[in-house]
Formats: sequence, structure tokens, C-alpha cells
Amino acid sequence: MKKLLLFFLLILSLLSCSGGSEQGIVLQSEADLSGLRVGTVSGSIYDLQLSSRKDITLQLFNSESDLLQALKNRKIDVAVHDEVVFNAVVRKENGIKIALLEEQAFPTAFMMRKDNSELAQTLTAIQERMEADGSMQRLKDYWLTDRYTQESAYSHIPAEPSGKPIRVAAATDSSPISFLIDGEWYGIEIDLLRELGRELHRPLEIKRYDSGSCIMAVSSGLADVLCGCIFVTPEREEQFLFSKPYHSYHPAYFVLDTEAGMERESLITGIKNGVRKNILVENRWKFITDGLWETLKISFLAILLGSLLGVGLYAMAHSRRGWMHAFVKLYNGFIAGIPELVLLLILFYVVFARSGVPSDMVAVMAFALFFASGASDIYETSLGAIPHGQTEAGLALGFTRVQTFFHIVLPQAIRRGLPLYRGQCVSLLKGTSIVGYIAIQDLTRAGDIIRSRTFDAVIPLLVVTLIYFLLVWLIGLLLKLATPKKKVL
Amino acid sequence: MITVSHLSKTYYNPDGSILHVLKDVNCEINPGEVISIIGPSGTGKSTFLRALNLLDPPTGGSIVFNGENILAKDYPVHKMRQKVGMVFQNFNLFDHMTVLENVMYAPCKIKKESLETAREEGLALLRKVGLAEKADVYPASLSGGQKQRVAIARCLAMRPEVILFDEPTSALDPTMVGEVLSVIRQLAKEGMTMLIVTHEMKFARDVSTRIFFMNEGIIYEDGPARQVFEKPRRSATKAFVQRIRKEVFQIDDPDFDFPGMETRIRRFCIKYNIAEKCEPAFQACQLMLKEVMSAYMPFTLRITHSELSADTSLDFMVEGLESSPLAAPGVSPAFLEQLRSLCKDIVEEPTTRGFRVKLSL
Repeated sequence: MKKLLLFFLLILSLLSCSGGSEQGIVLQSEADLSGLRVGTVSGSIYDLQLSSRKDITLQLFNSESDLLQALKNRKIDVAVHDEVVFNAVVRKENGIKIALLEEQAFPTAFMMRKDNSELAQTLTAIQERMEADGSMQRLKDYWLTDRYTQESAYSHIPAEPSGKPIRVAAATDSSPISFLIDGEWYGIEIDLLRELGRELHRPLEIKRYDSGSCIMAVSSGLADVLCGCIFVTPEREEQFLFSKPYHSYHPAYFVLDTEAGMERESLITGIKNGVRKNILVENRWKFITDGLWETLKISFLAILLGSLLGVGLYAMAHSRRGWMHAFVKLYNGFIAGIPELVLLLILFYVVFARSGVPSDMVAVMAFALFFASGASDIYETSLGAIPHGQTEAGLALGFTRVQTFFHIVLPQAIRRGLPLYRGQCVSLLKGTSIVGYIAIQDLTRAGDIIRSRTFDAVIPLLVVTLIYFLLVWLIGLLLKLATPKKKVL
Repeated sequence: MITVSHLSKTYYNPDGSILHVLKDVNCEINPGEVISIIGPSGTGKSTFLRALNLLDPPTGGSIVFNGENILAKDYPVHKMRQKVGMVFQNFNLFDHMTVLENVMYAPCKIKKESLETAREEGLALLRKVGLAEKADVYPASLSGGQKQRVAIARCLAMRPEVILFDEPTSALDPTMVGEVLSVIRQLAKEGMTMLIVTHEMKFARDVSTRIFFMNEGIIYEDGPARQVFEKPRRSATKAFVQRIRKEVFQIDDPDFDFPGMETRIRRFCIKYNIAEKCEPAFQACQLMLKEVMSAYMPFTLRITHSELSADTSLDFMVEGLESSPLAAPGVSPAFLEQLRSLCKDIVEEPTTRGFRVKLSL
């Protein structure tokens, strides 16, 4: 295990250190992008704009941190994103610079479904009032000017204690728009939403969605309002309602700053600093522990529920009624044919979209449905492997049917089935790493969140990997303890 | 003890046809009786036995055990099974338990006997079947005969009033049949009530107080062992008990698997309890093949044995031949002398299709 880990570290550090010096890219206008490898965040407005250009190689990323990482590792030549997201602090830390700032700025606002005009109107009213009394200017000064350069206390308006929560989908996790520190959301848009909450006497319930799925969260009714540097475009206005734009942000073209000359750290100090920055600062380890809890909870409940459903499936497959066999066949075929992620998304965005079932319970259900199919197969193979003669011998000795099953057949079947069951549990545990897609902050997502704050890929991914390793080992250990003892009497 | 009347069992095949395995079985089984159930295969012997402890519930008729109708709706079947032991063809030992645990398990779990008592009794039973030294090994490392003896000990541990043996030696290598039969013989001597489905005619004749000959889904003939074997009342019974066992070899050319034939002859002799005839049979075969028969390929060699008369013979049959191979010129008198010393009798006779030399052993 230790050796494996060291090997990992070595490979990753080598990868992150690679790359030679080359001439910086100079951009005079958008036309100069021609022939370059350009990256942006999928689902963003740049995605729409750039995908029509045939003269560039466009690469889409799921988050700002992935985009930045790709730029730093020279997988792309130019990153296109909001200037405000890769702000001065981020640019300095990561050795990138703005090659070109677009003159035209995009108006930015909060997005809602068309039937939610009350929220839009209230937000607009609040903004107008704040503009009139000068507090909007103070807010912008604080977030958009000072926050670029200095670390200071985060603005925080106290939350409303009770009431029907306003469900907020956050499309981005980056300072100074909307970002998560130590379990709390901060940022200019979050402050505006807190004002809204105070006006309506409703608390906020903020969830991070992928840039790819955040719009779906609003359209399906899972979220009331979408924030996170959402540009107002005519296409979006056709389908959605926007509050009054509170600011306009410039799109920017980022490239590596070859002159900045990132200083090389030794491996040990690199790891030390990495751990400090990614794990210790701002109690970031809490993301990991909370994520770990979420992963464990979903896995455990899904295994439990799935095992029980599996018993049901097994019983149905062995019932005398033909239609039950047909159902089981259909069910197994369905489960075998659908990717886990797709089923998860269908359950979350379609089946339970407006039912108010919490997202982690939707995940439990989705994974339990998968697990049930595998579990019933395992029951089939392990119980089927016990010859019928064992049952007959038990009955002939005078055991009842139930006693025969529990005393004689089951102990033998468990011994056969446990290795298979362990494999099933492990693949479920690892499979839960996709629950981030439905806004659950599990272990994998915890790593993503840290990455989006620190723009560092190595340490968060490594820590997450290590924890998954430990969990898999732990499952093996637990099931070993559950194996029936060799001595039966 | 057990009264069976008008017992029937009908199977419905998936193709819709109906199979009457048991048609109308009537009998009365008294304490201390050792009853062998014999008969051609497919006549319901095993089905009848398995109907008695309801492993294969009958479809009609009645079974009264110790005065109680065990086919009544709320009858506690498992209670009855605790008093009616069963020994299976395939042993069905619990593979995940040691030999001793196999024997102790039911008394501990069902009768709630203490571990010490059950252990002592279990060891005593294993000693009785000669397997005390194997108490702590797992069944997988036992031979078939040993497994079956453990299965008998396991059955005895519940102190049954009657034991049902379902072809206890059919799955065994012929060399191991004896050890199992001797255990059953011992039980018979001790007065245990037993029903034994078996193909071992000699054993059935020696050990049973009574024989059920089953045929066509009924008990076709029921009587004392001597009477059924020696003076069967019905012709089907007679045909069955007097039937001749045989093993046939078609020898076409010198490439024939002669060592394999030896093994089959040896198995045949052991199976029908004529091991002493094994060696003479080999010698006669070799002699015949070497001196005479190599010139008459292809021919058919047959070893036959009648369980009732205990006559065994080797038949060499050549198709299309009109005179005896032994009478051909060039057959040495010394060879004939040697052959006669091995056999009780030599018959040379023409058959409808050729010529036969019959050596009685």
C-alpha cells in the first residue's frame, strides 16, 4: 500500500512539473484564436459562441478548476472565461495572465422559471433600492475591487432562521461570485440573495450544480433560482425569467504567463504546501469528512436496501407465477442496459423532480435498484450451488423448512456468495462517486470543491483516492468478520 | 407401526401427460421388521419410500404412523420425521461440518441436547460404524463408503424408530458396498425396524425378514425373503429374481482395450459378490484369447451371472461359425487340459447366428 502510494505521488508530481518554455501567445483580437486549442466550461455562454467556430480546437471542461488545470498543463493554449472568476489573486497564484479582455461586457443576473415572477420582481426591487441608497456600490467595491487583492473577513448577512427555504442552484464555486468556505456560502451574488431572503423572511438552501446540469435544475423545479455569474442572453430570456442585471462582466482570454516563471518547489515542500493549502486552510478537510460521511451513508443504505430488494427479486424469480418471472427478466434487462448515471439523472430530474425527496435518498434508491439486480444474481448462484440433497437431509432429520434453510442451506450459501457480494459492494461504493451530478457533496465532489478553490489537482485527488482505497479495504474486513465461523457447534 | 393404504402418487409432466408412479400401495409395517424393497427400476420403489416421510408427498391414500394420520392437514410433519430416519443414495452429508458435527447437529439443535452429551453419543455412534478416528475431518476427505456410514450414524443420532434406506449402496464403488451393508446388517441384528430399497439381491435375501417386490406401481408380491426368492408366487417376481446379470464385450480387432475389459470384469465380480471367480475368469479369458480366439475376430465375449443360482459363465460367441473353435486343428491338448482345470464345465454349441463356447466358472 505504501509503495503504491509513493509511486502515485512520484507519477503525479512528475506530470505536474512537466513542460518546457515556449513563446507566449499574443492575442490582438478574437480572430487570432484561429488554429489554437481553446478551452472553456461546458454549458457556459462561451461554449455556445465558440462551438460555431470551425478554425479552433474546442475543449469543454466541467468546472473552472479543470479548465485552469488544463491551461497550466498545456493541454490547451487559451482558456476563455469570465474575467472575474480567474481574478488577480488566482492569476498570480497559478501563473496565468489575460491575453485579451473583451470590450463588450455581459449583463449578469439571477435566473428563474417563468412562473416565478415574485422572486424576480423582489430581487429587482431590492437591487433598485440598494442602488439608490449607495449600498450596491459598497457591495461591489467590497467584492469586485478589494477582494481581488486582499484577504479580509467575508461579508455575511445573517440568515433567516425559519420559513420555506429559497432553493438556490449555484453554477459556480469561485470567488467573488459564489463560493463555499467551511460549509458556508459567500460572494457578491450570495449577499444579494441573502438580502432577498431577509425581505421575504425565508432562509437560503444553496446547492452546487455542475455547469452542465444547473439549468436543468431550474427548469425541472429542483431549484427556485440560479446564481453563479449567469449572463443574460436572448436565448435564455426566451425560456427563463431574469432579475434586473446587477453588473456586467467581461469575458477574457487567459494564457500561461511565461515570464512569471513559477518557482519550482522540491517534492517534499510541494507536498507540504499542497496539504496545507488543500486540507488545512479554511478547514478544507471538513469537505473531505462531510463527503466521506455522505459517501458512507449512501453506500451503506443502498447496500442495505438493495440487498433486501434483491431478496424480493430472488423470491419473485422462484415464484410459481409466470408474470413474476417476466418482470424479473425485464427488470434485470433494464438495469443491465442503463448506465448508472443516466438512471440517477432520470430519477432526480424526472421521476422525483418535484416530490421533495432529498437528493441523497434519490441516490440511495438509484444505487439500491442496481444493487438489487446484482444481489439477486448472487443469491441465485450461491443458493443454487447448494444441492437439493442438503435440504432433504435437513428435512429428513426433522428440521422444519425454515430451520433447514437457516441452519443448513444459508451458512453454506453465504460462504460461496460472500466474495461475489464483496465485489458488488466495492463496485457500488466506487460507483457512488457520480452522485455529484445530482448536487450531493460526496467524497469525490469534496475533492472537486477543494480543487475549485485551490486550483490544485494533485493533493485533493490523491487524498480522495487514498480514502477510497481505505474504504474498499474496510468493506473487505467487515465482510470477513461477517463470514460464518468454521465451527458450527 | 406404519399402515399404508391405497397410497398413490401421480406426476403431471410438463407436456401434459400423466404418470402414475404409485397406483395403489397397501402394507403394514411392524416393529422389528427388516423389509427390502426390490423390483425393476422405475416401478416406484424410491417414490414409495420417500412418500413414507413425506419428502415426496403422495397424492392419494393414507399413511398412519403410530396411530396418527400423517397426511392430516395440521400434522406436524417434522415431529414425525424425527422418529423416521432416512439414509440417501447420495449420502447428503453437510459438507460444511466435520464428521462429528454432522452427527451431533440435529440432536443439539432439535432435541436441545447439551454439547457434551451429544458429543459423547456422537462419538459412540461413530465408533459403532467404525469411523471414530475420522470425527474431526470434513466429509470431502472421506470415501463413498465412509460417507454413507457417517450418514447412517447421523440418522441414528436422532434415535429413530424406523430407518428408511433409499438405495444406500447404489452410488458406491463396488469395493465399498460391503462396509456399508455390514453396518446395516449389524442394525438388523439389533432389531432396528428398517425399509431398504436395494438392488443387492444377496444382501436382501440374507438380511430381510420380508420382501416387497414392487412392479407397475404396486406391491406386486409381499412375503418372507425365502419364499419370495425361492418360490415366488407370481411370474413377474420369478423373472425378476431369477434374472441373469451380464456384461458384454464386442471384440473386433487386436486394438481392443483388453486392460479396460479386465477392470470391467473385476467390477462385475465384486458387484455381484463373486470376487473369488475373478481370477479364474481372467485366466480363462487370457488363455482363450491367446490360444484360440485371436483367429476368430470379430467375436463377442459375455460374462453372465445368475444371482439366484449363483452360476457364472464366460461365453465366446462367433457369428457365422458352424464348428467349435476348440475342435479346430492345431488346438493343443495341453491347452484344453489347462482350460478344463479352470472351469466347472465347457459347453460347445451352435446358436441361431453362429457358434458359442460356454465356460462355466
